[in-house]
Amino acid sequence: MAEQLSLAAVRGALIREEDSIVFALIERARRPRNAPAYYAPAAGADDGQSLAEFFVREAEALHAKAGHYEKPEDVPFFPQDLPSPLFPTKGYPKVLHPFASSVSVNDAIWKMYFNELLPLFTVDGDDGYYAETVALDFACLKALSRRIHYGKYVAEVKFQDAPQDYSPLIHAKATDALMNLLTFKAVEEKVKKRVEKKARIFGQNVTLEDSADKNEGSADDSECKVNPKVLSELYDRWVMPLTKDVEVDYLLRRLD
Amino acid sequence: MLMPMASLYTYLLICNATLLLLHRCSGLSLDTVRDFLTREEDTIVFSIIERAKYPLNLPAYEVPAYFAGSRHDASFAELFVRDSEAVQTKAGRYQNQEEIPFFPFRVPFILSPSYNFTSDLYPAAAFVNLNDEIWSIYFNQFLSLLAKNGDDGNYAATAASDFLCLQALSKRINYGRYVAEVKFRGDPQNYTTLIRNKDKDALMKLLTSESQEDVVKRRVQKKAMVFGQNVTSNGPVETGDSNSSQASFKVDPSLVYKLYDQWVIPLTKQVEVEYLLHRLD
Repeated sequence: MAEQLSLAAVRGALIREEDSIVFALIERARRPRNAPAYYAPAAGADDGQSLAEFFVREAEALHAKAGHYEKPEDVPFFPQDLPSPLFPTKGYPKVLHPFASSVSVNDAIWKMYFNELLPLFTVDGDDGYYAETVALDFACLKALSRRIHYGKYVAEVKFQDAPQDYSPLIHAKATDALMNLLTFKAVEEKVKKRVEKKARIFGQNVTLEDSADKNEGSADDSECKVNPKVLSELYDRWVMPLTKDVEVDYLLRRLD
Repeated sequence: MLMPMASLYTYLLICNATLLLLHRCSGLSLDTVRDFLTREEDTIVFSIIERAKYPLNLPAYEVPAYFAGSRHDASFAELFVRDSEAVQTKAGRYQNQEEIPFFPFRVPFILSPSYNFTSDLYPAAAFVNLNDEIWSIYFNQFLSLLAKNGDDGNYAATAASDFLCLQALSKRINYGRYVAEVKFRGDPQNYTTLIRNKDKDALMKLLTSESQEDVVKRRVQKKAMVFGQNVTSNGPVETGDSNSSQASFKVDPSLVYKLYDQWVIPLTKQVEVEYLLHRLD
C-alpha cells in the first residue's frame, strides 16, 4: 500500500489487484477440478489435512519466515504458530489503526473459494497434477485475500474524509447503518463491469490473424479461459461484500 | 558407417513398428506440443506482468551480510526458491517429467495422492535441462530490463513472483525435450543419422523454422500488449498518452519479444539438440 493514504491510491491498488485476480483464476482454470487434492486426509498428513491445506500451511510458514505478513493487507489463512521473520524487514509507514492486523475474514474466503467458486470455473476431471493445482489455488487465495483486506485502507480513508458521519455510528455499534454508509451501488456496478471486461480481454485466445480489435475482447464468452460472468458474480456475491465486512470490522474498533 | 542392407531393413521395420505403437499409446503429437507452447506463452506473460508490479528490490538478490561466507551463502531470493521447491516436492510436484526443479530436494515421502503419469520421453534423455542457464539469465540479464529501479520492501512477494516466472520459463524451455521427441518420431531415419554423427549444427538446422519462430515472437509480443494494457470501465481501453506510447503498458511488449528472441527460443532449441544427442543412448 502506498505511503500516501488517499482515495486515489487505494482505488489504484484495488484496480491493479483485479488484474492479479483475473490472471490467477485463468491460470487455475488451466487445470481441471482435481478433487483428490481436496480430499482429507491426504496420505501422511497430520490432523486429517487435505493436500491443499498442507500446502498452504507450509507455504505460509515459508512466507512468514520471509517477512511477508507485516502489512495489514497481507493476512495468513493459518495464523497460529507462524514462524517469525528470519530476515530484517523494511519498515513501512503505519497509516492504519494498530489493531488493523487482527482484522481477518480469511475463514470466509477459504470456504467461499473451495466450496462455491472452484466449481464455477473449473471443469470436472482429474489430470493428476495435484501439487501444481494447490499452488495455483494458493495464488488465487492470496490475491483474493489481499484485495478484500484492502478494505482496511478503504475504511480509513472514508473515516478520515467524514469522521463526523462515522463516529456516532461506531459508538452505537450500528453495523447495518455503517454498511449502508459504505455502500455505493453505482461504484459497485462499475467495478463488476470492469472486472468482467478484464476477464474477457485477458482470457481470450490471442492470435496474430485477428483483425478485430483485440482490446475489446472476443464477442464469444465461451472462448474465454474463464467465463467473464464468473468474475462479475465473484465480485458481486463475495469480493465486494467481504471487503465491506472488513471495512465494518475495522471501523467498529477505529475509535478504541 | 553403412549397415548391411538386411539389417538396415529390419532396423527400419522395427523403428516404424515402435513408432506406430508409441503414437497409439501417448498423446504426444506436433499439435499437442504446439498447443502447450502456445498456452504457456500466456502463463509467461502473466508472470512477467505480475513481477513488474514490484520495483527491482535489489536487497532480495544480495547475500545478507550475516550469511556471507557461511553455509547459507545464498541470496534471499535463492533461499526462498529453494524452500518453495522443497514444499512443492513434498506435495509431489516433480513426479511427472514435465517440470524439473532448480534445486532438487530429497524427501522421505510425498503427500500427494499417487497418479499414473504416462511417460513420453526417452528415459535416458529425460534429464536434459537448462535450469542453470535460465536462472543466470533471469537474474543477471532479464530482471534489470523488466523492473523499474526502486525498493518497496516487499521482498517476499517479489521472490514469490520471481519463482513463478522461473517456473514458467523453465517449463517452456525444458519442454524442448518433448518437441525433440515428437520431431524424432516424425523423421527417425534422418535424425538417427545426424545423432550418430553428433552433427549439432545439422540438427539445429533441421529443428529450426524461422517463419514459425517469427510467428511465435510476434504473437507473444501481442499478448504482452493485450494482457498488459490498462482496462477501464468506460469507453476505449487506455493505451497511454499516445498510440505509440509504451509507458502505460505494464510490461514493454518489445521486451517480451526480446525475451523470446534472445533467450526462450534459442534455449529451447539447445534443449532439443541436447535431448536428441542422448536419444539413442
